[in-house]
Order: sequence, then structure tokens, then C-alpha cells
Amino acid sequence: MESLIHIEHIMKIYNPGENEVRALDNVTLDITTGEFVAIIGQSGSGKSTLMNILGCLDVPTSGTYILSGENVSALSDNALSDIRNRKIGFIFQGFNLIPNLSALENVMLPLIYRGVPMKERQAFAQEALKIVGLEHRIHHKPSELSGGQQQRVAIARAIAAKPPIILADEPTGNLDSSSTKEIMNILHELHESGRTVILITHDNQIAANAKRVVKIMDGKIESDTTND
Amino acid sequence: MSQFLEYIKMALFNILSNKVRSLLTMLGIVIGISSVILIMALGNGAKESITEQLSTVGNGQVMILSMGNERITIEDLEYIQTHIEGVQAYLVTSMPDGTITTPKGSFTGYAYGCNENNYLFEQYSTLSNGHYFTKEDYDMGRMVCYLAEDDAIKLFGNTDVIGMPIDIEIHGKILSYTIVGLTSYINESNAISYDYENAPIYLNVPLSTLNQKLGLDAIQIQGYTDATLMLASDIDTQDTCNQIIRILESRHDCLGEDQFMFQSFNDILATINIVINMITLFIALVAAISLFVGGIGVMNIMLVSVTERTREIGIRKALGAKTRSIMLQFLLESGFITMVGGILGILIGLGGAYALSTIISMAMPDYAFTPSISLTVILITTLFSSTVGLFFGIYPARKAAKLSPIEALRRM
Ligand SMILES: Nc1ncnc2c1ncn2[C@@H]1O[C@H](COP(=O)(O)OP(=O)(O)OP(=O)(O)O)[C@@H](O)[C@H]1O
Ligand SMILES: [Mg+2]
Repeated sequence: MESLIHIEHIMKIYNPGENEVRALDNVTLDITTGEFVAIIGQSGSGKSTLMNILGCLDVPTSGTYILSGENVSALSDNALSDIRNRKIGFIFQGFNLIPNLSALENVMLPLIYRGVPMKERQAFAQEALKIVGLEHRIHHKPSELSGGQQQRVAIARAIAAKPPIILADEPTGNLDSSSTKEIMNILHELHESGRTVILITHDNQIAANAKRVVKIMDGKIESDTTND
Repeated sequence: MSQFLEYIKMALFNILSNKVRSLLTMLGIVIGISSVILIMALGNGAKESITEQLSTVGNGQVMILSMGNERITIEDLEYIQTHIEGVQAYLVTSMPDGTITTPKGSFTGYAYGCNENNYLFEQYSTLSNGHYFTKEDYDMGRMVCYLAEDDAIKLFGNTDVIGMPIDIEIHGKILSYTIVGLTSYINESNAISYDYENAPIYLNVPLSTLNQKLGLDAIQIQGYTDATLMLASDIDTQDTCNQIIRILESRHDCLGEDQFMFQSFNDILATINIVINMITLFIALVAAISLFVGGIGVMNIMLVSVTERTREIGIRKALGAKTRSIMLQFLLESGFITMVGGILGILIGLGGAYALSTIISMAMPDYAFTPSISLTVILITTLFSSTVGLFFGIYPARKAAKLSPIEALRRM
């Protein structure tokens, strides 16, 4: 089966020269459509760096990235914006909601940049908020929501435009066990509906939810195992 | 196109949901524009009113003065009037003071003796009753006089005085005149008008009568230290005056000795204009400073707000916004703010100028004037503030929009 994501010899070096940090050190990885992959590793091992590169938010220092047959490393800033908008749904480690927009408006943002008309946009966003169980909080600002609710708004925003790939960076990082369970259920449902889900976590128990677990240490892939 | 409407809505929404920030930015623009317009409108208005008032005074009059021992004689003046084109009349005066006695009492005043044509030089009054002197009055030295209505009221208590006798005692001699005319003041009150209330009393009399009765003939032979000429309006004042000086010098055998000089009211006007232009320049400088200060205010708040919004820019880019969508959003936002601020600034500036001038005209009617502002000033001011507002709204946004989304997100 052809790879959806193919990265080869990816290096990400911060502060080259003195004090250099090899956040990613020669990483090669393939992910096919429909996979549910967990990337685990200790804090500072390079998980977020990897996700930012996979999500076209950041560019590697060297190496190749082919996303559904397209060489992403060669694309312009505008083309990358389009790819992020159409192909990728992010769930950030720190929510990254816009504070003065309501939950609904936050969820509608990617749809605005895709050029979806107002009515459909609203319908899509409401549907996404319903999936995460926030249909009764759509007009609240992020500051008026709990941490778990904010995380769910962030998930709704990631799925509203129905992108094929979901990238989730510690989506349950600071949530209690029942919220964690709910969010994991949502991710499973998204996977069931045909999406490729990449979940980043430092928690082995959460990683156990995934079929495939990639372990990173000091910027290198230490192991890549598939559970049955 | 519908996409563009989305951005307009988004810009309006952002402005409204950040009221304090928007208002502060707008305030910088409002202060910049309104203070420039206010200052310029008041300054220009005052300047125009001064220029207008001055232009009515002393137009076409030239004073020639003797600086040394030579005196200007009537013969000199007659010669000049007949030989130099554009010299319409001359005026020489003698003004001894004396005591005027009427049934109401005694008053100090002046006998203002002029040659004929005196009325041509009148700036502030016009004949309201009776007549000016005739040529015969001058030639025969008839004992006739005319005076201002206000003076008639002071002297007699009414203006029904044509034909009345009036005596003035000068140097122990009593001169008895008959009143033949009354004048009234034409200039409505303004900042540079004469203070008629406390003015001394003048009896306008033919110069010849003073000469005869007081034995001033000697003066006339010797001549006068100064004379005023009335020049036609279509001639070159400077040129004509130089000719006159040359004629005087050759008649008095003192070529090139600088015995005579002239002073035209146009020269005085030119000097006053220089002063006014300096004031205008000063006003413009003050205005430029306030515009600059307003610009800095706009710049600061824009820089702060974009820095504060770098994270928002990062989020939007991560979700698929292109650099130009971000730019368009910020352009529209700062565009709206500068536009509304600009309109408010113009309105407040003009309103303030008219309000102030109304207050001045009520409190000090003598100094009343209408504010005046040129469209150019409004345009330049608005253009400058808008440029500052737009530039500092867009330039930092552009910098932020060009960052990779992750860099923008990392900036706190
Ligand atoms: N902008 C940066 N400049 C310098 N070093 C950086 C930068 N971003 C990340 N790093 C370094 O790169 C390494 C990997 O960081 P990364 O954020 O990928 O870790 P992580 O695995 O996501 O950790 P966590 O579980 O705490 O989120 C760390 O050592 C970090 O200090
Ligand atoms: Mg991380």
C-alpha cells in the first residue's frame, strides 16, 4: 500500500553551532492511510517537533517529506497554507484557540480560509461541536470554558473541515481520566470513519489505544511496534 | 467577492471585539488630524481677517518725508502732481491745538487744517450732512469747518448744527468758524479700528484760514516736513515714488543726499504680510508637531497590538490562512480605524474651530473672525495620518504573517 506520509532522513537542528539541539536526528518514517499511530517519548524527545513538521507548520533543517505523493519540502508558503487547510486537522498541545472568538467562531476558522459559504460553514461547525458534545456551549468564549471543554473545541476545529489526517499533540495532556476517556473515544470514532490519526503522548497507557506505537528518544526513532 | 465580504465582516468584528484597542488607535488619529485642522483653521481665519482689515486701510497712499533741513513746499507738490502721471492729489496739514467754546462748555481740541482734496484721504468717515469745502473756500480762506457727528454731540448735544457758529481759541487768538458739514464713521468696529470714543475733537478747516489768521504763512513758504500723496491704483508705487524723490532732490539741489524718503502703505502691508507669514509658518510647525505626536501614538498602539496578535496570526496561518489573507484582514482593520478616525478628526477639528471662533466673537466682538481651512490642508493631514495608521497597521502584521506558523505561535 502506498504511503500517505513518507519522511526520510529528517533533521531538525536548533541553534546550529554551539549549544546545538538535534530535536530530530535522521528520522525516517512511513504512515499509510487509515492508520492510528501513537508517537511516544519523554518530554523533550522531539515529539512536537516531529508533529509540526508532519503538519507542515515547520520545515526540517534537511531531509525529504512526501505527503500523498507530493514533495512538500519544495512547496511555497501559500501552497503549504492550502495543504494545512485541506489535509490536516491539528489538535495542539496548548489548545491555541483565539480568545475573543466564541467556540463556534473558532471552529469556523478553517472553513473561512477554505472559502466555505456562511450557511454551510455554520452547519459544519455546529456538527463538529456536536460530535465533541459541546452543542450547548457554542457561543462561549474560550475563557468561559473548562480545560477539557477548550480541548474539545480544539478537536471540533480540527475535524470541522473533515481533513483526512488528524494530528493530535497531547490532546489529553492536562485532563482528568473521564475527559481523557471521552476524547480518546472521539479520536477512535474519527479513526473508524476512515481518517488517519497520529496521536502524540508521553503516556504509555494512552498509547496502548493505538495499533502502532512509534517511540522517540533524543530525536531518534527507538522502536516502531504494531499491536494486534 | 463573497470571500472579500467575509474579510470585511471579520475586520469589523475584530474592531468591535477589541473596543479599547480600537479606540486608542483611533484616538491617535483623531488627535493628530483634529488638532492640525483646528490650529490651521483658526490660524488661517485670523490671518485672513487681519489681511482683509488691513487692505481697506491706506490703500494707494504714500507719505513723503523730509529727513533733513529741506522742506517740502506747495510748489514742489504742485509740480509733482502736474508732471508725474498717477499722482491724483496731495495733502499737507497743520494741526494746532486750542480750546473750543460752545453753549455746552469748553473743550480741548484741534483745528485740523488741510489743503483741498482732504476728503479724498478720508479713511474712516464719509459726509453725512452738508458739504465739504469748495475750491473757493480754500482759495478765499473762508471761515468754514466740518466735523464728525460724534464730536457735534459732544460739543452741542445734537447733530442739528449745520450753519452754527463755533469758536476755537488758538495761541490766544479766537477763530470763528461756521459749520458746513457733518461726517460719520464708516468702519464698523474691528480689531484694528480707531477708538472713536476717546478720540480728541477735530475741527476740519481749510489750511488757508489757519495760515491767514495765525500767521503761519511763513511755514507755507518754508514748506512742510511731510506730505501725503494719493496715487492711482494702476501704477507702480515703487517706481513713481523714486521719481518723486528724484524730482524733490533736483528741485532742492541735493541729489543723492538722502534728504527725502517715502513710505507707502503698500510697503507697510508687505512688512505686515511677512509677519503674518511667519505666524502662519509657526502655526504650521505647531500643527506638524501635533500630527507627528498623533502619528507616534498610532504607531505605538499598532505595533503593540500586532505584537500582541502574533499568536493569533500563527493560529490563523496554521489553520490555512495565507499571508495575503492575514494582510487583507489587517489592512481592512487599520483601514476602517483610520477612516473612522480621520472623519472624526476632521469633524472635531472643524467643529472645534467654529465653536472657538463663535466663543471669541461673543466674548470679544472686536476680534471676531471666521475659521478658514483649505481642502489641501485637510487632504494632506488625512493622507499623512492614514499612511501612518495603515503603515504601522500592516508592516508589523506583514512581518508576523511571513513567519512560519510555528514561529508565530511560539511568540508569546
Ligand atoms: N525553538 C526552539 N529552539 C531551540 N530548541 C528547541 C526549540 N523548540 C524545541 N526545542 C528543543 O527541541 C527538543 C524537542 O522539543 P519538543 O518540543 O519536540 O519536545 P516534546 O517531545 O514535544 O516534549 P514535551 O513532551 O515536553 O512536549 C527539546 O530539547 C527542546 O528544548
Ligand atoms: Mg510537545
